[in-house]
Amino acid sequence: MTSTKLYTVIYVVLFAFATVQVVIEGLSGIGYEIAVAGILLLSVIKAVLVAGYYQHLLYEPRSVAYVVASGLVTAIALTFAASYSIT
Amino acid sequence: MTEDQQTHDDRAVQSGGGPPDGSATENALVFRLRRFFTRDELPPLGTVRHWLLTTNHKDVGILYLVTSLFFLVFGGVLALLMRVELLTPVGDILSATGYNQAVSTHGLIMIFWFLSPFAFGFANYVVPLQIGAKDLAFPRLNSLSYWLYLFSGILLGISYFQGGSFEGGWTMYAPLNVPTYMPNIGSTTTVLALVLFVISVTVSSVNFITTLHRMRAEGLTLFRMPLFTWSILLTVWMMLFAFAALLAALLILSSDRILGTTYFTAEGTPGSLLWTHLFWFFGHPEVYIVFFPALGAMAETFQTFTGRRLVGRKWFIIAMVLVALQSFLVWMHHMFLTSINLQIKTLFMVTTIGISLPFDLMVFSLIYTMVKGRIRFTTPFLFTFGALLVFIIGGITGVFLGAVVLDYQLRGTYWVVAHFHYVMVAGVMALVGGIFYWYPKFTGRMYNKRLGKATFWLFFVGFNLLYFPLFVAWETPRRVFEYPAALTPWHQLATVGGFLLGISFLLVIWNCYWSLWRGEPVDGNPWEYSTTAEWAVPSPPPLENFPGVPSYESGSLAFRDDDTPETSTDGGTTVSNDESGSTAHDHHDSHASPWPFFIGIASLVFFLGLSGITTGGIYPVLTALGVVFGAVSLIGFGLESFSVTEPERGERWPFEGIENGKLGVWVFLASDIVLFGAFIGSYVFLRVGYGWTDWTLVPHDPIPGLINTYILLTSSFCIVLALVAAEKNSRWGLIAGLSTTLLLGIGFLINKGIEWVELFHEGVWLSSNVQASTFFLTTGLHALHVILGLLILLYLIPRAINGSYLNDERPIEYFGLYWHFVDIVWLFLFPLFYII
Ligand code: HEM
Ligand SMILES: [Cu+2]
Repeated sequence: MTSTKLYTVIYVVLFAFATVQVVIEGLSGIGYEIAVAGILLLSVIKAVLVAGYYQHLLYEPRSVAYVVASGLVTAIALTFAASYSIT
Repeated sequence: MTEDQQTHDDRAVQSGGGPPDGSATENALVFRLRRFFTRDELPPLGTVRHWLLTTNHKDVGILYLVTSLFFLVFGGVLALLMRVELLTPVGDILSATGYNQAVSTHGLIMIFWFLSPFAFGFANYVVPLQIGAKDLAFPRLNSLSYWLYLFSGILLGISYFQGGSFEGGWTMYAPLNVPTYMPNIGSTTTVLALVLFVISVTVSSVNFITTLHRMRAEGLTLFRMPLFTWSILLTVWMMLFAFAALLAALLILSSDRILGTTYFTAEGTPGSLLWTHLFWFFGHPEVYIVFFPALGAMAETFQTFTGRRLVGRKWFIIAMVLVALQSFLVWMHHMFLTSINLQIKTLFMVTTIGISLPFDLMVFSLIYTMVKGRIRFTTPFLFTFGALLVFIIGGITGVFLGAVVLDYQLRGTYWVVAHFHYVMVAGVMALVGGIFYWYPKFTGRMYNKRLGKATFWLFFVGFNLLYFPLFVAWETPRRVFEYPAALTPWHQLATVGGFLLGISFLLVIWNCYWSLWRGEPVDGNPWEYSTTAEWAVPSPPPLENFPGVPSYESGSLAFRDDDTPETSTDGGTTVSNDESGSTAHDHHDSHASPWPFFIGIASLVFFLGLSGITTGGIYPVLTALGVVFGAVSLIGFGLESFSVTEPERGERWPFEGIENGKLGVWVFLASDIVLFGAFIGSYVFLRVGYGWTDWTLVPHDPIPGLINTYILLTSSFCIVLALVAAEKNSRWGLIAGLSTTLLLGIGFLINKGIEWVELFHEGVWLSSNVQASTFFLTTGLHALHVILGLLILLYLIPRAINGSYLNDERPIEYFGLYWHFVDIVWLFLFPLFYII
């Protein structure tokens, strides 16, 4: 697959996932927690696709991904610990 | 950034350096100004132009040192005012608000505008020398950091003249920090001064991280790196993430103050708790950020003056790495008296005990180095040795505070004040040792040794006389000028100590000044057992530091003949070809640029304008001026031809396969992740506190958000296509990709604008409630990122039309990294604020 083709396929997938997120919200059958989990999971997948291919993080040295990951871990640690601390 | 800029460059040189061609239009003043700021060559030392234009790391280091000493005097005067006030247990010379301002700005100045920049003076000067680099990776950004730092400090000074400066302590606790309690414009200015300072710090962190990982001499593996440089490496990594959290806190605070959002006054889970989390998530790493460089200076001088390698050097490094990581896991020990739950208090008590262990190891390593070596009691050693002694006391008293039960008693008392002065001023003491240690390197002259030693004793006695009584009088309430009368003698003793300490600082400064002319000249290395590379070159070192390319391949430092350098750039234009067909040997690096200075002034004007923008008058004008002047300066910065060579060979672990510029962008993005992460974290925190499902979403329907998601995704795709086109040398493809992205970005903003205006019409405003505040501010920060991206596009597109970026598409690639990042952020904001 040429790179342009790959980028196009990813674009279509991203577009579709965004739509699905809104659809999930409209579904009445599933519980709130599951819907939230599904919606966030889709966001994560989209983010990984953009970072991995559009930002070609997959093709950079692994250490660059670690830098990004440490930023993420920092933010997530703050978010969870702070929210957990609430009495 | 590319060769096509050659033409532009020629023009710049002609019109700047020579007489104006067809000068009818150019009046004399403009011409003079232009000549003053032209930067073909670095003007001679000793001229004002030199210091305004220089981008050389050694000059910038000196600027940092001198400026930070100025702030030391500023903060010191405030401290002495407080000490005089505290001579009696009742208020006498200062008013209550005067005292509040003195306490607050003293703390802010000493921590932010003195101690850290003081350490970075050394870092700037010494680190490139120690790693065998000619300069930092991005010299112009380095001088930009300096100017932003200086102007942020000036902005803080201005705050005093706007009805008074900040009054809520350096920790700026909420809700005291909002306009209801602190309405002065000056308090807003203080917050904005800190914002500007954080921008400077972030630029520096990116620069140093790139430099330290990519510019080390051949053979200088991380493990072999000198300890001072190690301490800076860890400091800048901590800075990158910690200051991003602070930036989030400050931006939210600025918004609460200027735009009227209600984060920190939010009820339910108090917004005040949110502030403490954000602040201390930064604040604890910050205490190591200020201390680590001092630790590095200690390790360095202990080795040199005991003539011995540090005992357990490997473990010392491992311990520093551990502390740097752990420093992000102890922040709630500053929050034992807030409403956080007991489990988490206990957890953080444990992590706090955990972080003191590697510290013990470092202290023992320093002590054993003395035991094993033969000590030479020079002035620098006396200072760093004294620092170790008082640091031990400071550390032990900190462990008391880390115990939840004890802290219930000690919090808010002078115990805390004494503790942190023992540790922080230990850091200062070690860095004063650093001044004496490196003074001969900086100036080529020896300091006055007799005076140096005498100063040490005065310093040491003054220090303990000042801070030890504070432990004894620990029942004094912190930040208040009234205290139980029985404690008066201790406070009077402390005041005497304060003046002695103040005098000893002046003596240090005097010694440096006096020795510039009268000091005994020294050659490259005045210390018998020094081992690091800065001592292998003359004092002061020449402009480009080394007589050849430094290499450690053989196990010790050697210089090879000049290699053929690659060209690289820090965002300016690289000049690589010229008609004479010269080889790279004639290639010379640039060392001067006026733009960092201009960007600095523009930022000052801009933030000053923002501080009072809601009051009208001159403020909106200043803001607009700042924007225009800033834009011009940034364009100047972008178009300027500025060349930097990236060494051919060297140690680059773990970033071998990526060039400096791209690494810089990624490192910056990592800090931006923490910034947005902290914004999203604040939203989650407030929502959890409010009751997750009770929270109502602000937009009524997700469709505008969904459309904007489509728009951003499409724009990302277009940027990818633009890059592909550039790689294939298709000029029109490139232009089409960039322009479509620009249009889509504008579409995104219009769509958002419509959505917001509708909400405003319904009466939903930023200050309506906490839901609205988080919605508008978080998506607003994102929109600001979009706008910045569009401005960059406006710069890129005309240049693409002129044929740029086809030979070198890196700028397009870097822009893409940023743009995709903005896209990714939206991928999370959209569900969080529109759907779930
Ligand atoms: C073993 C090491 C340390 C431990 C266990 C420790 C523990 C603590 C604790 C628990 C507090 C909070 C006290 C309270 O507010 O009630 C505190 C405050 C403080 N510590 Fe330390 N500390 C240590 C080392 C350091 C170092 C190395 C520095 C700086 C160089 C430092 C600077 C500070 C500062 C500035 C504060 C006051 C913050 C404020 O304004 O409230 N500490 N320390
Ligand atoms: Cu702490």
